[in-house]
This record gives sequence, C-alpha cells and structure tokens, in this order.
Amino acid sequence: MSKSKEDKMQESKKEAKPEMKVPYTNFKQQYESIGKEILSAITPILANGDFVMGDAVKRFEEKFASYSQCKYVVGVANGTDALFLSMKALGIGNGDEVITPPNSFLATAAAIIATGATPVFADAREDYNIDPELIEKAITKKTKAILPVHLTGRPADMDKIMEIAKKHKLFVIEDAAQAVGAEYKGKKVGSFGDACGFSLHPLKNLNIAGDGGLITTNSDELFKKLTLLHNHGLKNRDECECWGFNSRLDSIHAAIAEVKLKYLDSWTGKIRKIAKTYAKELKGVKGISYVPVDKPYEKAVYHTFIIQCDKRDELQQYLLKKGIGTKIHYPIPIHLQKSAASLGYKEGDFPMTEKQAKRILSLPIYPELTAEQISLVIKEIKGFYK
Amino acid sequence: MEVPYSYLKEQFASPDAILADVKKLVQSGDFTIGKALEEFEKRFASYLGAKYAIGVGTGTDALRFSLMAAGIKPGDEVITAVNTFYSTAAAIATVGAKPVFVDIDDSLLMNPDLIEKAITKKTKAIIPVHLHGLLSEMKNISSIAKKHGLVIIEDSCQSLGATIEGKKAGTFGLTGCFSLHPLKPLNVWGDAGVVVTDSDTVKERILLLRNNGLKNRDECEEYAYNCRMDTLQAVVGNHLIPDLDKVLEAKIANAKFYDKELAKIKQIKVPARDKSARYVFHNYVVMAEKRDALIAHLQKNGVSAKIHYPIPLHLQKASKYLGHKAGDFPVAEAQAKKIISLPVHQYITKEQREFVVKMIKEFYK
Repeated sequence: MSKSKEDKMQESKKEAKPEMKVPYTNFKQQYESIGKEILSAITPILANGDFVMGDAVKRFEEKFASYSQCKYVVGVANGTDALFLSMKALGIGNGDEVITPPNSFLATAAAIIATGATPVFADAREDYNIDPELIEKAITKKTKAILPVHLTGRPADMDKIMEIAKKHKLFVIEDAAQAVGAEYKGKKVGSFGDACGFSLHPLKNLNIAGDGGLITTNSDELFKKLTLLHNHGLKNRDECECWGFNSRLDSIHAAIAEVKLKYLDSWTGKIRKIAKTYAKELKGVKGISYVPVDKPYEKAVYHTFIIQCDKRDELQQYLLKKGIGTKIHYPIPIHLQKSAASLGYKEGDFPMTEKQAKRILSLPIYPELTAEQISLVIKEIKGFYK
Repeated sequence: MEVPYSYLKEQFASPDAILADVKKLVQSGDFTIGKALEEFEKRFASYLGAKYAIGVGTGTDALRFSLMAAGIKPGDEVITAVNTFYSTAAAIATVGAKPVFVDIDDSLLMNPDLIEKAITKKTKAIIPVHLHGLLSEMKNISSIAKKHGLVIIEDSCQSLGATIEGKKAGTFGLTGCFSLHPLKPLNVWGDAGVVVTDSDTVKERILLLRNNGLKNRDECEEYAYNCRMDTLQAVVGNHLIPDLDKVLEAKIANAKFYDKELAKIKQIKVPARDKSARYVFHNYVVMAEKRDALIAHLQKNGVSAKIHYPIPLHLQKASKYLGHKAGDFPVAEAQAKKIISLPVHQYITKEQREFVVKMIKEFYK
C-alpha cells in the first residue's frame, strides 16, 4: 500500500505545483468563501460534545430529504456503505445477482460483493450510463436488483430502467454518488428507486471534510431497517434488534454539508454553465469524438466532464505541461481488475466501456473556475489537435 | 452538587489550537488518508509499542477487518465475552461466523476457565474484551489459544493505555482493536477506529480492506470496503495523544479513591483487581445492592450514573437464532442486575468524588 500512498503524494504534489494554472481540483477556494459559516456551524457541536448521531445530523437529513424529493434520509459513513446497507436492508445477499455497469467506480461492485451477491455487468452507452437494452439481456432467475449509476453526474435512463424493474419484479438501488441534484424529466435522482446512495466525499459536488454518505428512500419499512442496520442494530441504547454495522455520518460533517447544501444549486448552475461552454467550444474539434451534452429531459450536474479523444495520453501530458490538470475516470474497467478475476469476465466482454477507457479524459470543472481558466483549457486542447 | 457522567462538555471548551490545525488541513485538501493520518498512525503504534497502527472507520470495523485478515469465514466460530458491547458480537456475525459466548467472573471479564469448554472443531479465534478499561487475563487466554491453535483478536476499544506487567492492551493478540468514538479513552470528533498489529501480512490486508482494495489509484486487488479514519479526526487525535496518560492517571486516581472508600460499604462489591495490571477505568463499575434505587437516589442528588450494559448479549433479540435462554450465563446475568457505572472522568474533582461516595453511604444508611 505504500505504493498507493506514494502515488497519492505525487499526485497531490503535481496539483500543488505553483505553475498549475488550472488544477484539477480546488478545495481551498470553496472553504475560503464559506469558512466562517462552517466554523460557526461546528462550534456548538464541539461545545456540547454532540459528535455522534447529533442534532446536526437530524437537521441535515431533513433538509436533504426535502432537497432530494424523498421521504427519508439516513446519514451513513460513506457512499459505499450507502449502497451496501441499502442492499442489505432489501435482503439482497448470497446467491443473488445485481446488474450494474462495468465503468463505475469500484465501490459500486464492491458494495454488491460485500452483501454476498454477485455483480453482473451490463455495458454503458456513449453517455457513460448503463444501457437499458443490455440490462434485460443480463437478467437471470437469480437477478434481484438493478443498480444503475448516474455516472459523471448524468442521470441514467430511469424511465426504461424502472419499466424493466417493474416487469421483472426487481429492486432498483440508484448510485447517485456523483449526481447530487441531477434531474431526469424534472425529477431528482435518488427519488426513482427503492433506495439511493449518495457520497459526500471531498471530491463530490456536495462535499465534506472527510468521508460521509447518505441513503434516500420513500419506504417506511426500508427506513426502519436502515436506522437499525447502520447503528449496531440498536432499537434504543440497551436493546439490540439485529446484528448490525457501525456506519454513521459524523455530526461535524453533517453541519458542513448543511451549510454547503444552501449553495449547492448555485454551484451546480456555475458548473453547468462551464459544461455548456466546454461542449460548445470542443464539439467538432478534430480528434475529439464525444463531448457530453444534456438531452432535453436531463439536467446533469457534471461531477466530471469527460470527453473522448484521440491520443488521450499525449493530450493529458501536453495539458499538464501547460499547467492544466486532468484525470481519467477510470482507466481500467471494473471487470478487468484483478479483484474481478473470480467473476470470469475477459477483455472484449464490454466493448463500449473498454473503448471508452482508452479515450476518456476528465477536464477540470468546479464552480470556482474563472473565465480565463476555462478559455485556457479550451485553447490548449484546440492547440494540441491543430 | 452536579457530577456529570460525561467529560465531553468540558473537553473541547477551548478548541482553538485544534481548529487552527483543522483549518490547515482544509486548506491543503488532504482529507483522505492524508499526512496527518500517517503521523497519527505512527504515534499510536509507538504509544502501544506495536509495529503498525492502521486508522479505520470505527472500532467495529477494526474488529471486522481483523477477523477477515485472520481468515475467519462463514461456518467458523469465534469465542467472546457475553457481557460486551453489541459490536463485538456483530463483528463476528457480520463476517458470517458464529459468536460463541463465554460467561464472566468477578473481575467483570471473560472467565478463562470457561473458554476451553466452549471450544469446538469449528472454533477459529478468541476475542477477549478488555471492558471498562480493564484488562483480560491475557496469560491464561494466550496459552489456551496457543494450545488449540486459535487466533486472538483483542477488543481493546475501551482500554487504550491499560497494561499488564508493562505490556499494553492490544499488543497480546494478532491484532488489537481500538475505537476513538467520543466516549472512548482517546476520543476524536466523530467515529474512528484503529487496528494495531506486528504482522506485515495483516497490515497489508487491512490497508486494502479499508480503501476499496486499491493497490494504487487505478488498480483494485480485491473487492473491499470504504472504511478509512478521516484525516480530520487524525488531526484531533494528534492533539490528544500527548496528554493521554495524564487523562488516564486522573481517572485512575479517582478509581483508586472509589475502590478504597466503597470497599467499606458492605452493600457494594468492588470487582477483583489484578495488582500487576494498570487499569485505565474507561468506566468505573461496581456491583451494588438495590442498584436501580441507588441510581435514582444519585440522580436526584445530581450524580449521573449509568449501566454498562443492562442486558447481556445472549438475551438480546439479535441473539435469538443462537438459541440461548436466561440462565445460560449466570454470572453475567446476576451482574447485569447489580452493575453501576460511577462518574470517573478526568474533570471529576476531589470534592465531587467525595460527594459521590457520601451519597452512596447516605443511600445505604
């Protein structure tokens, strides 16, 4: 693991270089603008020692429920746990199959594995979301649920997915880790399925200063099970209903998220505007085969803005030299990871995902980007392909 | 006089020094497995005299990951004390193994003489629980484990800093599991946990388990979990470690005073103490006659007392499938009706502890 730490440090060193004109992420600026507000939200928690399952968590859960158009919200330790606990509460486990795309972050498949179930992959479409046509082909007698991922902050094709789920009597657990605030036909992600997992990790659109996650659901029964499962199975301080887990959103993180939730829509607006500018300017550039744009019924929140391009690695190096940070989400599809060896997939099984893995590049996108920075990114990309 | 059970309202009354470092962290954006966490892990390991410390999400996860790293699988049995906190048994059950309970003795801890009777062909591990800042009889337990080829995983969540003949709780087994929950000896601003071990392979496995099985940013070695100690919590922990022993000594002094004074009251039974041990009194627990009336009396007079824990694990609904009944663990059941936890934290003054004793004496008069 020391390797990973080295990698990580090198990455952060790269990003911290003073000559970086457009770093891929910028944590500092956001905290500078609302630091005081966050500090005053945290201070009462420190004074009262209300660190675990405190008032701040309850308050934030209520606000997020109303924001996400859902009846219930349960704060948990991270986005992976949000998916894992949702499936556990739905009774998914050994021998079951759950259909999900192979191009997500690893945690989606890991959450399925952790329940004892098997992830069954269905390839993605050009827009990186799971292809509903391929979901139906992947259904077997063992299939219990579909786990669509609203990847990059773009809602998956929920009408079709819900229709398939209804027809085959499957649960739907949405993975909205990257998609807080995204809408599909005017309805927020997280309000379609039986349950939905969100992440509040520092790199997410609604983020905190550490790990945190949320589950949304409209089901009374599921909510009750989740409140037990994420807190040792405790009905009250002294009575344990079932063996559970310890996966709670820290009060101080809830307080930070509560402050940021107020700004989320305005930040999302800025991000969407940047996405539009990127799309307008980069569409049709020779060497770029795909630029993300909203379909008329979508409101994507662009957690990442991922283009598909020729000579991807060269472009990435070129941009780095010009002081522009970019990333690849993700270079190795889940089914080709060492961890997936026992699932028996091979190269060629998911051609769209595999093709994209070689061509995708994530451009810097966050509300604090200036017009000059955006123009620079566009100019340098165009310059590379000239 | 008010004698609160918790220290939390006083502990972070002046948080400015910690907040200054939190601010630095926020500016660096180094939130996930950051430098402050690495520093904390080193200090934690060195405090215990262990080779490695790995920060994880919670004490429960420290136990779960230890069981996984020890190769515990569905069908295996793991022995533990029947009077522990839920998460010890939950950790065993959620990795698919069966929790096998053992009764306790008048030290409030697992009775080593009963362990061998609980061992079957399926037994793979023993989790001694160092409850309340006490320390299990590790010599006996270690030799039983050795004889039967069992792994020891120490639940040291409540006993950071406890020692026996100078050796610290958490360093006897394959791993030692700690919680940094706000109500623990070293407490951060939310949930966190630590696994300590001297084993390189266990360390490598737990590093994978806590971080999505990632060998590096892009390569996944095994499907795993997201269960990292927040770097922000490590910043808090780094501030608290230097004063840990001072805090523990204050609790020990309060406990010694109680031990001496309460021994004079015939309705109170002080647990058996091993003189070669340093107990750190996360909770100060004694057995009391008319316990519930005593708690009410103390409460009425401003003294906050608690029960850790009123219902032993085998009688919880969660254990129903294990087929236990009342009477299976007579010592734990009898104690559950008598145990009372008195305020013992570092901010208790001489006057306060004297007042607590006075109120108890008054009750039994």
